[in-house]
Amino acid sequence: MSRSVLYTSSPLLASKTPVWRSRLVLVFIAAGFLALVGRAAWVQVIKNDFFQRQGEVRFARTLELPANRGRILDRNGLLLATSVPASSIWAIPEDVERDKGKLAQMAKLLEMPRAELEKKLQDDDKTFVWIKRQVEESVAREVLALGIKGVYQRTEFKRQYPEGEAAAHVVGFTNVEDRGQEGMELAFEKELAGRPGSRRVIKDRLGRIVEDVREQVPPVPGRDLQLSIDSKVQFFAYQKLRDAVQQHKAKAGSVVVLDVQSGEVLALANYPSYSPAKRVNLSGAQLRNRALTDTFEPGSTMKPFTVALALDRGLVRPETPIQTAPGRITIAGSTISDAHPYGVLSVAEVIQKSSNVGTVQMAMKLQPKEMWELFSSVGFGQRPQLPFPGIVSGRLRAYKTWRPIEQATMSYGYGVSVSLFQLARAYTVFARDGELVPVTLLKSQAQAAGVRILDPNNAQSVRQMLFMAAGPGGTAPKAQTIGYSVGGKTGTARKQEGKGYAEGKYRGFFVGLAPVDKPRIVVAVMIDEPGTGVYYGGEVAAPVFSTTVQQTLRMMGLQPDMNVKPQIVVGVEESF
Amino acid sequence: MLRVNILLLAGVMASAMYLVRLQYESRHLYTEIEKAQSEARRLDNQRERLLADKRGQATPLRVEQIAKDQLQMRPATAGITVYVTQGAAP
Repeated sequence: MSRSVLYTSSPLLASKTPVWRSRLVLVFIAAGFLALVGRAAWVQVIKNDFFQRQGEVRFARTLELPANRGRILDRNGLLLATSVPASSIWAIPEDVERDKGKLAQMAKLLEMPRAELEKKLQDDDKTFVWIKRQVEESVAREVLALGIKGVYQRTEFKRQYPEGEAAAHVVGFTNVEDRGQEGMELAFEKELAGRPGSRRVIKDRLGRIVEDVREQVPPVPGRDLQLSIDSKVQFFAYQKLRDAVQQHKAKAGSVVVLDVQSGEVLALANYPSYSPAKRVNLSGAQLRNRALTDTFEPGSTMKPFTVALALDRGLVRPETPIQTAPGRITIAGSTISDAHPYGVLSVAEVIQKSSNVGTVQMAMKLQPKEMWELFSSVGFGQRPQLPFPGIVSGRLRAYKTWRPIEQATMSYGYGVSVSLFQLARAYTVFARDGELVPVTLLKSQAQAAGVRILDPNNAQSVRQMLFMAAGPGGTAPKAQTIGYSVGGKTGTARKQEGKGYAEGKYRGFFVGLAPVDKPRIVVAVMIDEPGTGVYYGGEVAAPVFSTTVQQTLRMMGLQPDMNVKPQIVVGVEESF
Repeated sequence: MLRVNILLLAGVMASAMYLVRLQYESRHLYTEIEKAQSEARRLDNQRERLLADKRGQATPLRVEQIAKDQLQMRPATAGITVYVTQGAAP
């Protein structure tokens, strides 16, 4: 029998080391694990909030999601204003490397003087400074390609106005922060601006977004705004106005085109104007939306209202004769005279010839209260209901304070002040058979419901008188236009300066409607301080009216209501 | 018993690894989405700018100038327009 060896208790393997050493190691390892567990508990349970926060600070970022500003469109959906991205260059002054050559190149690219650039980079304490905002993207790329340390770009939004100066006063503009400053941009700032959203994300080491931490707050983009303006009508009106102002060496001018049926403003232009995209060295004269903010005495354009009231009260009929000889009338010691003595005129002829004396005779049969009621019901002395900054209400004094001479002068437009826009709107009364239409600058589908002010027959009678005034023997034959019948009234008013009237300073204006039988538009034109010696409304403003009416009605697709001698000759070179 | 434990341990390990991988992939996909979205935004902006440019090229001012100068056109008036009414003889 062989000897068996018990390997488990081999004396060779018997450890000579004391047991406590292995125990000690065990204790150390256990302590190590305990420490780890303790630390884990510290991090994960006890101080969890703190560590979570620290982690977030290092990797989580809140991003703002910019909301696009709404666009402004014309009635046919063409762009009047839109936001496009633009690059802005910014820098951290203390980080910027002072390489003279590169900085000079950058200044040249950004079209700014070296000194200005140096000044911006001077302040070492600042950690952020705009170098130039809203530059072309290609320029920004070139600037970044220079590789100057400490110079960065950021994408912002910039407003573009394709229509330029023609629609500047209506559309307005925004500042560099994309906030409305003028015009519709300001009036509808809330709707256009939208609400920026935000999201909280985790970015990795390379700055890539890897996770959303919270739910996003999506941005609410601004609403698009569709105006009633027709950009073609607007352009033509502006162009004709500009030509007239330049031709007569006038100071300024305005034109308003209203759609009679819907009460929409088809065009509203002023000259001088400005380019909304490049607003440097703007003067107040350029910025002023004269059609809405400038008031003047309406002069003869007021006469149709006086006559309409006299017709409405049954005091006269269109054919009633009125003695205007000797061309003068004295009211309470003051004499009112006509440009020419006319003798006996019918009521219609009083308007056609624009006789002050004839108008005053009718007015003196009216009560001041009646006149005041009519004037204010057509909107004089009332602020037009347009969402526009800086609109004026004009001036119409309470009838109780009227003296007889004032009642007389007011009947032909002196002693009250109105804006061109108010005047245009008031004439919708004649265009709509006695109804005044509410006006709007926003596109509306429906036909507007008017407020009845005059008897339809009387309004039509006045319209015929306006037709005569713009016809042969009237005061404004230059208002006529090929193919369409027009009616309107001229006005010429001396400008007020201080307490009295300025010598040799006038405003010529014309308000009219077309076509006479079924008016579609009302056009009002005002030329301020013509400088060539010709200043009558019939001479300076009526031609603008004529071409504007021609183009507008043509663009509306309206068939001519007058016989037109066709000028189309087949096969022959036509000549004009 | 031991075998079951080892099996479970391997399972846990595999699942943990898979989790890590999934997390990695999800982040990767997330950055892809982000990239695509910012590309979409860029294209959107570009579209807006092109629209504005297009409109800028077609403003009445420019159209009229070209029509007048290059094409020798002149504004139409009622005198040189033939109006055709639907249903009636021309």
